[in-house]
Amino acid sequence: MTHDLKSCFFEVGAGGAGGPGPLSQGKLSEQHPIGWYGMKIKITGGRLYDPAQGINGAEQDLFIAGDRIVESLPQPDRVIEARGRVVAPAGIELRGQVATYGLNFLRLWGRFPSLTELGRLYAAAGYTHVHEPLLTLYTAGYVHRQLAALPLVDTSASLALNLRDLDDSLKSPNHLEELGQAVKALQEKTRALDLRLLEPFVRYRQPFYSHRTLDAAQTLETLTRLALRCELRFSLEAAPEVLEAPLPEPRVFHLAALGRALTNPRRLDQALAHLDRGGTADLGFPCQAAGGAAEKPVKVDLGWYHPLNLTPDAGADAGAAALRLARQYQGPNLAFSVDGPVRRPEAALSSWWARLRDRRPGAGADEPPDREFSLWDWVWATRTLPARLLGLADRGHLAPGARADVALFDLPPDTPPSRWADCIARCRTLLKAGTVVIEDFALVQPDAPKATYYRRTGAAAGPLLAEICQYRSFRPENLWVTDELGGDWVGLD
Amino acid sequence: MICTGCGCLCDDLDLTVAEGQLLEVANVCLWGLSRFFPCKRSHPRKERRRILKPLARLNGRPREVSYETALEQAAEILGAARRPLLYGLTNTGSRAQEAALHLARKLRARLEPADLAFTAPYYHSLRKHGLYWAPLEVIRDEADTVLFWGANPLHSCPRHPVRYSVFARGRFTERGVEDRRVAAVDLYRTEVAKFCHLFVQVEPGRELQLLSGIREHLEGAPGPGPAVKGTRKLAGFLSQGDFGVIFFGRGATYNQGFALLDELAGLAARLGEERPFVLFPLSADFNAAGLYQLLFNELGSPEAPDFGHESGLLTTYATADWGEFDAVLVVGADPWWFLPEEQALALQARRVPVVSLSPYANRTTASARVVFPTALAGLEAAEVAYRMDGLPVVLKQVLPAAWPTDREILLDLAKAI
Repeated sequence: MTHDLKSCFFEVGAGGAGGPGPLSQGKLSEQHPIGWYGMKIKITGGRLYDPAQGINGAEQDLFIAGDRIVESLPQPDRVIEARGRVVAPAGIELRGQVATYGLNFLRLWGRFPSLTELGRLYAAAGYTHVHEPLLTLYTAGYVHRQLAALPLVDTSASLALNLRDLDDSLKSPNHLEELGQAVKALQEKTRALDLRLLEPFVRYRQPFYSHRTLDAAQTLETLTRLALRCELRFSLEAAPEVLEAPLPEPRVFHLAALGRALTNPRRLDQALAHLDRGGTADLGFPCQAAGGAAEKPVKVDLGWYHPLNLTPDAGADAGAAALRLARQYQGPNLAFSVDGPVRRPEAALSSWWARLRDRRPGAGADEPPDREFSLWDWVWATRTLPARLLGLADRGHLAPGARADVALFDLPPDTPPSRWADCIARCRTLLKAGTVVIEDFALVQPDAPKATYYRRTGAAAGPLLAEICQYRSFRPENLWVTDELGGDWVGLD
Repeated sequence: MICTGCGCLCDDLDLTVAEGQLLEVANVCLWGLSRFFPCKRSHPRKERRRILKPLARLNGRPREVSYETALEQAAEILGAARRPLLYGLTNTGSRAQEAALHLARKLRARLEPADLAFTAPYYHSLRKHGLYWAPLEVIRDEADTVLFWGANPLHSCPRHPVRYSVFARGRFTERGVEDRRVAAVDLYRTEVAKFCHLFVQVEPGRELQLLSGIREHLEGAPGPGPAVKGTRKLAGFLSQGDFGVIFFGRGATYNQGFALLDELAGLAARLGEERPFVLFPLSADFNAAGLYQLLFNELGSPEAPDFGHESGLLTTYATADWGEFDAVLVVGADPWWFLPEEQALALQARRVPVVSLSPYANRTTASARVVFPTALAGLEAAEVAYRMDGLPVVLKQVLPAAWPTDREILLDLAKAI
């Protein structure tokens, strides 16, 4: 199945999926540019999958010079034999909950890998970028410290806005410009790549503050105006009430982790309608629980109406609903993602994809599949589309000029569907910025350079931002993320 | 400036510096004062002696030596040890902690956080009861029911009641202490009683009985026997309010620590069924939280790692038996201050060499074979530290340092061994 790429995307602001700005490296990255020890490599004989270029399994050579893919190379330093193997862009985890504040407590039960292991597992699964969905104003430093400790993979994070901080401005239509500037300034100061809403409403646990409540419909209507006026885009964590609320302009909202919101057929139709109107979404397959003794509840109160539940129910229903949506939707706007803390990145998505591949009636869902899922679709949903949604212009494809993040999988054409999940769960070879990180399934470059990506908005801190920060338990200068709190930084304009 | 006096990491200090000298610090408590000026914690007029040069014992007496000589001797001691212990680290920056973990791996040593006896029962209890957690900011904004159990914040982290827990004006606790109800449980009547609405003095050894009595009252089925005094009032206190927090201190872990924390965590979980209820350890050391974050990240467990175990790596909640080690490296702690006398004498009798890194002279440096003076994190050295709720801040260097940092010494040691 192919998609009309020109019609897939749209330009909305700096974070618009189709119009990422030029990539510029931060100060630290200029000193140690990624791929500085890369060489000239030819990957020969592999079956290439690159939906961005319309390449669907064609046997084709790939050339890499330094950290970039190039048109051709007269004399490569090294040739990687890929005959019979799948060559695809490296994976981009769109919703990898690996550094959320409080997640460390899950390690008490011994069934959540350390950050060092987690980084290695991601690399082994063919990923080079992980996007953490939950960074808040005062946990930004924590999240970035954790992301910096995640080896091998590049990272980025979403700033999850607490609308309680902005409720006065949301009620006042005359202050949208100021609000937009404050949000953009927050995004840059916390070094976040995009903006996220967990609770698209304002609600208080204290009855005394009930007069300040804003319902989801009101809030989303104001946020749409804000987004259109200030060129913003929001990832909206899906919930039943989000699907119920009218989204006046779906293109400014990306629906994240849809599976858990699809609690009945009507909501499935609402999600499909959002996608058909040009909105984007990710599926949010439930992370597979590791089994064994039941985990105890771990909840973190970040000042939202609901505490953050770090041990959500594994959600077989949510998984089935996500499968159903994936099977029914025919367009290009749906990415794959997982919902909940990531324990086994190598198995998280591959097992769900294998279930999508299974064409037997009733396999993994209640009805037979409406469409056949191919490798092309898998590359699109786990590489190309996530890269575009995050605004990583030089990732997720294999065109000349792209960064040489390439994964090779042992997946011969005659592999039975029952073995597909195993085959794509582990890559034979992974190149990150032209450096071989995994070779013959073994980690050969444990110290591969990595960086954290964020959006440079250029917005100045105004009085609204000062007001938001006024009542924090840290002074603003200690809320903002400085170079010392993370690894190498790369600012995207 | 950020204060490294305790785990609060207050960031509202104002420093006056002139010509490379610190003249004045505003907003600081006594604990912070003792970090910025060479004075004792509880006696600001009594001076603490700064160690100026590396020291090494020659013929039993400490002599000033060069940095290289001290490094050589320390590397020799630690490199030759069959069972080394790396102790402390809760009062040093995160970068130094990372270097210490690297060194412990290299030495195949046991690494023991200085406050393991305090935190181990807490983490152990979470495995059984789960957790409702909130950062101090949310606690300040929302907690209207505050209980201190075996904790005296005025001694362990003096500005905690003002900035976060009692008098602080939060978003939904705008009138400070008037919007909160505060209680404390302790063996002795402490200063905390002056601002608590309810103070329960419990006899030593009856804490568990008090806790089980509270649980029974909450279930509406008080036992037939005589209850510990204050049980009913405390149960009534805890069952009200919209957001509760129990801050426990070292007093909760001195005796029957594991059993008591198990009960406290069970009580918090029971109360949490009806409203948010947080169980929060009141860490006194300024970067204890940072050390546990590091252990979680690197090893996946907050337990003390032992890299010298025959299985390669063993992690444990049990505190170390000092009798089994043949060399000790102390960083960011003063274990000789609280080590039982017989244990200290036994170490002396076995001639266990001690290497100590410290900016100030203390009991440990007095017993050490090699002493390295270090720069003060957050004043003379840039570092990163984690507030007691696990949120990191950057500590800046504001004064020139005449001494290397903990991290530099630990990295040099790792190279030299």
